Amino acid sequence: MALLQIAEPGQSPQPHQRRLAVGIDLGTTNSLVAAVRSGLSEPLADAAGQVILPSAVRYHADRVEVGEDARAAASGDPLNTVLSVKRLMGRGLADVKQLGEQLPYRFVGGESHMPFIETVQGPKSPVEVSAEILKVLRQRAEATLGGELVGAVITVPAYFDDSQRQATKDAARLAGLNVLRLLNEPTAAAVAYGLDQHAEGVVAIYDLGGGTFDISVLRLTGGVFEVLATGGDSALGGDDFDYAIASWIVQQAGVSEDLDPGQQRLLLQTACAAKEALTNNATTTLSYAGWQGVLSREQLDALIEPMVARSLKACRRAVRDAGIELEEVEAVVMVGGSTRVPRVRQAVAELFSREPLADIDPDQVVAIGAAIQADALAGNKRGDGEELLLLDVIPLSLGLETMGGLMEKVIPRNTTIPVARAQDFTTYKDGQTAMMIHVLQGERELISDCRSLARFELRGIPPMVAGAAKIRVTFQVDADGLLSVSALELASGVEASIQVKPSYGLTDGEIARMLQDSFKNASDDKVARVLREQQVDAQRLLEAVEAALLADGERLLDADERVAIEAQMQQLRDCMAANDGLAIEQQTKRLTQITDAFAARRLDATVKASLAGRSLDEIEE
Amino acid sequence: MGTPCHFALFDLKPGFRLDLELLASRYRELARHVHPDRFADASEREQRVALEQSASLNEAYRTLKNPPQRARYLLALSGPELPLEVTVQDPSFLLQQMQWREELEDLHDSADLAGVAQFKRRLKVAQDELNESFAVCWDDASRREEAERLMRRMQFLDKLSHEVRQLEERLDD
Repeated sequence: MALLQIAEPGQSPQPHQRRLAVGIDLGTTNSLVAAVRSGLSEPLADAAGQVILPSAVRYHADRVEVGEDARAAASGDPLNTVLSVKRLMGRGLADVKQLGEQLPYRFVGGESHMPFIETVQGPKSPVEVSAEILKVLRQRAEATLGGELVGAVITVPAYFDDSQRQATKDAARLAGLNVLRLLNEPTAAAVAYGLDQHAEGVVAIYDLGGGTFDISVLRLTGGVFEVLATGGDSALGGDDFDYAIASWIVQQAGVSEDLDPGQQRLLLQTACAAKEALTNNATTTLSYAGWQGVLSREQLDALIEPMVARSLKACRRAVRDAGIELEEVEAVVMVGGSTRVPRVRQAVAELFSREPLADIDPDQVVAIGAAIQADALAGNKRGDGEELLLLDVIPLSLGLETMGGLMEKVIPRNTTIPVARAQDFTTYKDGQTAMMIHVLQGERELISDCRSLARFELRGIPPMVAGAAKIRVTFQVDADGLLSVSALELASGVEASIQVKPSYGLTDGEIARMLQDSFKNASDDKVARVLREQQVDAQRLLEAVEAALLADGERLLDADERVAIEAQMQQLRDCMAANDGLAIEQQTKRLTQITDAFAARRLDATVKASLAGRSLDEIEE
Repeated sequence: MGTPCHFALFDLKPGFRLDLELLASRYRELARHVHPDRFADASEREQRVALEQSASLNEAYRTLKNPPQRARYLLALSGPELPLEVTVQDPSFLLQQMQWREELEDLHDSADLAGVAQFKRRLKVAQDELNESFAVCWDDASRREEAERLMRRMQFLDKLSHEVRQLEERLDD
């Protein structure tokens, strides 16, 4: 527990016991899990020796199939086989329509605004589909590492908005994973390069995946990874190259654009194969529905040029946002399978006037970096003693709707997280007793051009003349990049707050149902597991408090406070002895609350100590 | 325990002239201690404390890093709260402001990228000069009124450089 961890970062309470944690790259096309073993971060292979798990999920009436076999079945069973589900995460039906009629699924509406895919097993949300992929990776990790996982770092595109992040976290929850952190993919790649290749200075990470594009500019200094700016497009990736080739085929072959889902899948597979063939060849022959033709690399380059140009524009913007010039970028790193396309490499090299690096496999680098952070977060000390610090930013501005349908920015993009910022508003009508708070994300001025994250109402404002009330709205973004908002009327103390539940996220009801479904057959297991977890949590807290009391009890607590804490510790021990799960949970919570101020004082003391350049031990003398 | 002054947080003397390298390295040092990553496995409440401490550290760093914000913060530390927007009684600067803006509009209309680059360089020089004037002025307690006026000028140039960035973005379309 944290009370203990003030000692030294990365130090495990029991140094001999390595705590198992993994990094997961949940990709559009492929997913991977990696872990640090014997000081080395590496992807974990399945029983057949395969590291990459295609992000394909096929629903059978009685089971779920994930990976290569599912992908192979996509054109034969298109309606029950979900590919590239990442593109649907945190999206509303309207967004999905915008992605085009390209998606060969039958969508149905759910309780929330999230689109559900109709399958042989009933409607499935993108969150559930993603959870299936995560479950397979979790099982693989537990089998390989030989134990239960403490948690996982899951990577997300840096440009993912709040809804997309929340959806990813929900999927991990459904898969039974404890999310240690959501980590931005380019930052994860930077960690891998920084630690294994000892990169230093200003580095740009160009990450073009199957469905998303990110560009991040970082400054690397001795284990500190400071993101200066990030940008991108959460709907631009290799899939779009495939669509461009597919529509070229349709044109050339003179076939109808009105395809059934099976034909559509086949067409996309043909397009994808042609794209891959052109990585090493100047031309490739392709055939589709009786038509045969040749696609040259020049033609491919022309087809994808608008998309490449879009990515370069995002690069220039990120460099500007970082407050530097293109020449100041000292290294460019390529991440994501789509950076294998020769035209992409060439364009990036031209923009930055330097050859991009691809020393670490672009398909694996994100998972490798994520595993390094997971290992550190789980409390395992790094072999080389180098301490990791990741300072990331929010990719998109956050703000509120104001009069006239305008967005007022509260936190601008590229602000370092965590961040908390408050802004004061007032009432505009006499006697107004309620105020609508509409939370938005985006760069445009009109609210209709921004993404609506949440709406909530502050009620019970005492009636006053217009402009007299002072309503303070506070935005807080945590280290996962997730937002919560609270509103407080300062004169009366009336308060309202929400953890932003994205408009396109799942409702609590939906999550409850899914969790129930997944535990249906394992309910006894679950009770036992929950009790065990409660016992472990309680024990850890007790040990942490004991250690903290020993270290700082004299210095930071008065006698009454100390007696209260010790009494509460005894209460908790009693419930643990009685194996009463509910009581353990309650008493653990109370012990946490009662030691709260103590924890805060210890943290303050550490900050002061580190300032003075002395260790805590020296101060205690 | 009140909120400590931003300068004290970094163990620096309040002042406008600042060793930015030192500020950055102190920031990293402090961030290592309070960042939520250190508390990934801690209780919910302790994670919240770390979150709040990190957020205020980031805020303090951001304020001190940026010259106009640092100037404004210094003035607020030693005097009454300064309103964000005021009617500025600074006729000579007002005239200059109008010229800058007109130029920027012309650059927009002509989509002159080389012109924008040159504008940026001139703006940078003007900002550096202004920072230096403020630093000198700040050292003399009797010139507070002038310091406030200079801070407003700094704020304006900051806003202007932001607009230049937006212009660059539009011209990139």
